Amino acid sequence: MSSRELERMQMPGAQHPAQLADVLERVLDKGIVIAGDIQINLLDIELLTVKLRLLIASADKAKEMGIDWWQDDPFLSRGSSNGKTLEGRLKRLEQKAGIEDDGSE
Amino acid sequence: MSAVSAAPTALYLYGVVASGTRLALPGAGVDGSDVEIYEAEDVAAIVSAVSRAEFGEEPLHRHLNDREWLERTAQAHEAVLERALGTTTVIPFRMATLYGAEARLRAFLHERRGVLAELLELFEGKVELGVKAYFDRPEAEADGSDTGRGYMLQRQAEQAAEREADAFAIACAEESHRRLGAAAFAARVNRAQPSELSGRSEQMLLNGAYLVPRGDGELEEVVGSLEQRFAGRGVTFELTGPWPPYNFVPRDLAP
Repeated sequence: MSSRELERMQMPGAQHPAQLADVLERVLDKGIVIAGDIQINLLDIELLTVKLRLLIASADKAKEMGIDWWQDDPFLSRGSSNGKTLEGRLKRLEQKAGIEDDGSE
Repeated sequence: MSAVSAAPTALYLYGVVASGTRLALPGAGVDGSDVEIYEAEDVAAIVSAVSRAEFGEEPLHRHLNDREWLERTAQAHEAVLERALGTTTVIPFRMATLYGAEARLRAFLHERRGVLAELLELFEGKVELGVKAYFDRPEAEADGSDTGRGYMLQRQAEQAAEREADAFAIACAEESHRRLGAAAFAARVNRAQPSELSGRSEQMLLNGAYLVPRGDGELEEVVGSLEQRFAGRGVTFELTGPWPPYNFVPRDLAP
């Protein structure tokens, strides 16, 4: 770990220009942008990903490499019992959010 | 689809925080607008009133495919959430979560108040850290043989080395993620970024996100230990963050 990264760790909330790829994979919702009033299903996201080689290229590469072992299991954490409890709660919230969403118009 | 009113602005939602949170960032919004706190009954939202000329359905669709706009907006979105993360617990929302009317935002915050309150409780005192592992794959050595038999043997050796490297890559990624996950409250794996994105020539083996106590240093220790363990095999690690806990917000939270 570089000293710059260590420095970042010690400065929560400090402004730093994070790597674009790291920011985008967090702020973009897997190709679908949810807008409160306007739900935009970004079919054009393919254009975007071709430009950025963000989602599509990386998925292909991972498969090619044979390291897409996680894809069907986002809950791989084998943490402490405390961690498991939190994972369980997150999973339940995730389901709840999904179910509630299905229930709405 | 609801009728989009002719109002010149829409509310851009960055994240949700506890009621009573103080945060005002003049001019720091995604389009240079002010970032403010919008108080609902049980929680509060970090919002900006943004121009529909930029964030309306049609312009947004166009802008999201404009790399420069996307980069600038994503960085501004992230910067706002990092400012919030520096002082309080925050539920980060994805980029371009927009409400055409205050009533719609209020209704969303009301409908999801249970989930939002629980997430705020879960995220309290925690941050997301990113850990990436890179593998400098060993290069096959040419032995200079130009006979047919020599070529065949060389090809076989190369293929065996490739298979061995693949097997190692998987084992290394699994062990790393397992050990990092054990030091975290929750863990997620994102897809490996290709070189064009990571900006590194080595192959990315792991692109993980870990929800950890803010500043406790345990995950950093695990990274240090993994670095030592795999240094001789050409694996290096990169730690990023602290991030708002994007990877731990349930999908479909926003309507």
